[in-house]
Amino acid sequence: MRELGTHKENTWCSGCGNFGILTAVKKAITALVEDNIKLSNIAITCGIGCHGKIFDYLALSGIYGLHGRGTATAQGLKLANPKLHVISFGGDGDSLGEGLEHTLFAAKRNMDITLILFNNGTYGLTTGQFSPLSNNGYKGLSTPLGNIERPFRAIPLLLEAGASFVARGYSAKIDHLASLIQQAVLHKGFSLIEVMQPCVSYNNTYADLNNRVKMLEITPNEITQSVKLAADPEHVYLGIFYRQLLPVYHEELYQNANPVLDSLSHQQRLELLSK
Amino acid sequence: MTLSNKKVSSILIGGKAGEGVKKAAQVIAKVLLKQSYHVFQADDYQSLIKGGHNFSTISFATEPVYNAYNSADLLISFDKRSMETHWLDFSSSKSLHYYNDNDAKPDITNPPCTLIGYPLTALMKQIYSSPSNVSMAAIALFFVWMECSEAELESTIKQEFRYGIEDNIRFAKAVYRMALADAHLISESKPGLQANQAQANWRLTSGNQAIAMGAWLAGLDFYYGYPMTPASSILHYLALKMPSHKVYAIHAESELAVANMAIGSVVAGAKTAIGSSGGGFALMQEAFSLAGMAEIPLLCILVSRPGPATGVSTYTAQEDLPFALNQGHGDFTRIVAAPDSPERAFSLAAELLSLAWEFQNPVILLSDKHLSESSINAVFPLDVPFFQQTIPQQNKPYERYAVTDEGISPLLFPGSDFVDEDTVIKWNSHEHLPSGLRTDKAEPMIGMKDKRARKGSALNEATKHYQRIAIYGNSGTPVFAYGSSVLELREAQKYCSKPFVIIALVYLLPFPSEELEQYANSQIVVLEHSVNGNLATYLLQNMSLCIKHNILRYDGRAYDPHELAALLEEVL
Ligand SMILES: Cc1ncc(C[n+]2csc(CCOP(=O)(O)OP(=O)(O)O)c2C)c(N)n1
Ligand code: SF4
Repeated sequence: MRELGTHKENTWCSGCGNFGILTAVKKAITALVEDNIKLSNIAITCGIGCHGKIFDYLALSGIYGLHGRGTATAQGLKLANPKLHVISFGGDGDSLGEGLEHTLFAAKRNMDITLILFNNGTYGLTTGQFSPLSNNGYKGLSTPLGNIERPFRAIPLLLEAGASFVARGYSAKIDHLASLIQQAVLHKGFSLIEVMQPCVSYNNTYADLNNRVKMLEITPNEITQSVKLAADPEHVYLGIFYRQLLPVYHEELYQNANPVLDSLSHQQRLELLSK
Repeated sequence: MTLSNKKVSSILIGGKAGEGVKKAAQVIAKVLLKQSYHVFQADDYQSLIKGGHNFSTISFATEPVYNAYNSADLLISFDKRSMETHWLDFSSSKSLHYYNDNDAKPDITNPPCTLIGYPLTALMKQIYSSPSNVSMAAIALFFVWMECSEAELESTIKQEFRYGIEDNIRFAKAVYRMALADAHLISESKPGLQANQAQANWRLTSGNQAIAMGAWLAGLDFYYGYPMTPASSILHYLALKMPSHKVYAIHAESELAVANMAIGSVVAGAKTAIGSSGGGFALMQEAFSLAGMAEIPLLCILVSRPGPATGVSTYTAQEDLPFALNQGHGDFTRIVAAPDSPERAFSLAAELLSLAWEFQNPVILLSDKHLSESSINAVFPLDVPFFQQTIPQQNKPYERYAVTDEGISPLLFPGSDFVDEDTVIKWNSHEHLPSGLRTDKAEPMIGMKDKRARKGSALNEATKHYQRIAIYGNSGTPVFAYGSSVLELREAQKYCSKPFVIIALVYLLPFPSEELEQYANSQIVVLEHSVNGNLATYLLQNMSLCIKHNILRYDGRAYDPHELAALLEEVL
């Protein structure tokens, strides 16, 4: 298989959790190619933030879009050509702040795309301001006295919105994360992977995470159990919290059609219009 | 003007929202069109679902009608408020006004027109077991007025309505028979015109429908929208066409989603359009800029209503010209064009979508409520451009933003049959290298900005292949306008004793300097629906002119042709 990296110089801080995510993505893609998925049928989108730079480090097609809009562009891609496996990379500021609406609606529609959410609990790229997932009390440039808000809980939020595959990984557990990504891409429907990602510069959570992570033994059958485990105050559970097959948006819209590949010709349009 | 040689007749129907005023007008317009009358149907409605006061006007003639008239020959009021609103301002001594005498009891000794009341509410109570539909009365009364048969009435209702057909027909027939007994009272109001031969290729179309179908003929695959009057009907119309025309109309969660989802679809190779009114367009600004940066072909339809902010939702305005000209932040080429008729709305939508694809650039089609929501008998010009995607020569490795002389880079889409496993297609909102990878280095930055600028010049140049201005009239003072103001002027031209030439700006950006050169230093009049005179200002920024008078109207309403003709006589 060809190289999945690019010659682009990597500008993440050394020790950043993003490196582990990049490695896991490449592993997952390699495994997907072995599953007979073609690289030419994979498309990626992202928002703006440190996480978004992954777009430049992957030799895959797609669009490096606007801050917060990565899941919106991902949905547009999927709808136009349902043959594509679309993977969107989002930051917590990006996908749960600026672009929260698109994230929730992608889940609500059970749009057949994958969102990899880089949860570093901060705005890395813009120098460490608090994010929608920052803890209460988090100190950043815009909250020098500490964050007075309480964080969202990504997994319960997205479950409530309608996501049909929800998982959590950790950037330091690369093989586990790669396997989650592979399964998420293969899942038919909206899949979310929340990735715990330490930001060494503004929110170094390695020690805390290493203490608290614990593997889920089984995927719960009951959504209430998924929520409970995802919100556990003591452990940061890793694994698949929820998986369900539900109707996907594009098939509800046009069944097996493919809008770009079956687009009507000029002649067909002329004939229809002259009728 | 005597009745026998009267050129244009008008019918006005008024009632509460929810009473089917617009639908009745549409049916009547269609019947007239079948009899080969030229029609212009305008709907005046408020932003509410029940109550209030709505009215629709259908003006028709044996020659083209470009605008609706205020003064009506036949008036039909479903409620008291409509009757009282309309009988003075909208009728003459020769008009005939039917009203619902269960609702309105006029206590007037000298009515301004012939008044006939029928107990429509009581009649409906008698007849309907299903929910009643007072709009049937309007259709029935129109049929009597036009001397059309009861059988024709029945078949029209069968064709146009889906629910409660039996009761609708019974009610319509009852009204028809009642009115037939009074037929001797209607003669003075009757249209003094005979219809032509049937016109097979006419269709009753609104500006928005024409925009939708024009874009569709040029290859439209996707339309994304979020409801906002007066752009919503594009979304509704295309949603209806979804199964038959293989075009996908998506109502997204917000205008931000609309614009960004649309961009995603383009990246997958779909010809895509988006639309909204000013407020929704304001929310799409950043994505519009992304389309400029990432070279995304995207047709953006801006249908104006009075602003600022929420403004007046269901009325007309041309306040958004400066906004349209300056969409998005940063340096890139903008194209703005405004149809001056529903036919042009069709051809322009196709033209703009094709230009967008040829030059990989966003384009704006600027319309307004009066043009977008009024309906006429149109013949769609089918010889519009169609951008045919060609498979680029694979000079390896593929580069999304390959630098070329003209500035246009070859297009490829992930998932298409022509893409092999080694090809990487990267679109980028950051400044980028030819490969599509991000850069912030000075030299490639200049290279890419120059490439886009070259492409922009070529795009501006290419607009010259199309009709960028339209001229109506032979001699007299030039009167400049765009959008539905051109329609107002064309109808007023029939009555104005002082001659004038209408100069319609179809392309606003790039400014059609070459075509307009002949008017340099002329004394002109400008007509627009704004308080600031944006068009006049824009003209003066681009050429030397002497603006004798800038007619400004900003009450959300279109001019009556006679009213505008009188006004022009004063200022010309
Ligand atoms: C519309 C807009 N607003 C603000 C910014 C500036 N900005 C860039 S990234 C970012 C936040 C990044 O945080 P997050 O999404 O959590 O990503 P991270 O850098 O932590 O990976 C902001 C505010 C922008 N690019 N666009
Ligand atoms: S700022 Fe934080 S998230 Fe960004 S690269 Fe550095 S460590 Fe990673």
